[in-house]
Amino acid sequence: MNPTNLSACPECDLLLKPSSPVVGDKAHCPRCGYLLQRPRKQSVERTFALSIAGLILMFPANLMPLVGIKMLGGAKDGTLWSGVVALFEEHLWGVSALVFLSSILFPLLNIILSLLISAHLYFNRPNRHLAHWMRWLQHMDEWAMLEVYMLGIIVACVKLSSTSELKFGFGLYAFVALLIITGMLASSLDKVLFWRQIGQLRT
Amino acid sequence: MKSKKTALAQGFIRCHDCGCLSKQSDKNSHCRLCGGHLHRRLPNSFQRSAALLLSAFCLYIPANIFPIMTVTRLGVGEPHTIIGGIIALINGNMVPIAILVLVASILVPLLKLLGIGLLLLNVHYRWQVHAKKWTILYRIIAFVGRWSMLDIFMISILVSLVDMGSVAQVIAGPAATAFAAVVVLTMFAAKNFDPRLIWDNQR
Repeated sequence: MNPTNLSACPECDLLLKPSSPVVGDKAHCPRCGYLLQRPRKQSVERTFALSIAGLILMFPANLMPLVGIKMLGGAKDGTLWSGVVALFEEHLWGVSALVFLSSILFPLLNIILSLLISAHLYFNRPNRHLAHWMRWLQHMDEWAMLEVYMLGIIVACVKLSSTSELKFGFGLYAFVALLIITGMLASSLDKVLFWRQIGQLRT
Repeated sequence: MKSKKTALAQGFIRCHDCGCLSKQSDKNSHCRLCGGHLHRRLPNSFQRSAALLLSAFCLYIPANIFPIMTVTRLGVGEPHTIIGGIIALINGNMVPIAILVLVASILVPLLKLLGIGLLLLNVHYRWQVHAKKWTILYRIIAFVGRWSMLDIFMISILVSLVDMGSVAQVIAGPAATAFAAVVVLTMFAAKNFDPRLIWDNQR
């Protein structure tokens, strides 16, 4: 048997004949129900476009104030970075590093890697690092936590709303847009298709 | 009978990263498509996962006993534990947000600690179970893991925003580090657990 004609389920190791689902269909593992593939229309093109949009939005979302408060005469603006700095100044280095990684660095790397990979696939340019990038992207996926951060903003705002006056900055709108873009990016990136194309580019 | 259908039983190893199948007899220990290391199952899955889980259990205690943040108003400091923060939200008539925080920072970590513990016991004692249901348990644990970061992000926002000297200040407490470590350790424990071990043990 030739292993290239077969595949296996990542969660139960069932040997499978690769199905080629059409756009709009989902391929599930018949034994454990794992979602094997969910093809998307123009996966490479959309990933390319969305990662450019995401990269642009990274700047206002990171640099402009998300939320500002007014409290007993004092006023203060908060950005993604100021949260990291505040924790660092209180000597909570571990927490500060974790917040930096999961809210700034990994989302950024995620978008950059998606951009690099989809650009190479779109223009049919082979690159010996493609497989490495794709592997990093897969491992980094769950450590980029913008949507959890958004929930954190909401809870913090509710907690502050009774004692102080809140104002939402332009950065927050950019952040919400970035959140939507990264969500669409994750769903448009068809990993099975990407790996297949990376394999084809190499040969 | 069941075990004959797995890729491993047929002599194939699935690459963890790209999903490409390789013949087990191949001397090459690297995947021919992406160059990743080939392993039949995640290496030392049980030991790594158990070690990470035990550390998380130990840190879960200080995370709940010590204050996660101290709110100072007009010079009077008021330390909050995780549970204390939820009670404060309920007293402030913010029940929906209190439920959200309760789920994210108490129920989800508990579910993860107990769930991964059960999965490990299952694999170690080779329980004969409905493997599909246990795979679903694994998927739920892997999915909800990151949402516990909510509390950490909320604290990072509060610490940076509420910083008005002696008038009002929020200072993160030692439990923040412990809690962040619990989240990260349980995420790694879930990542190191190989759900295929559940299926391998079924007769």
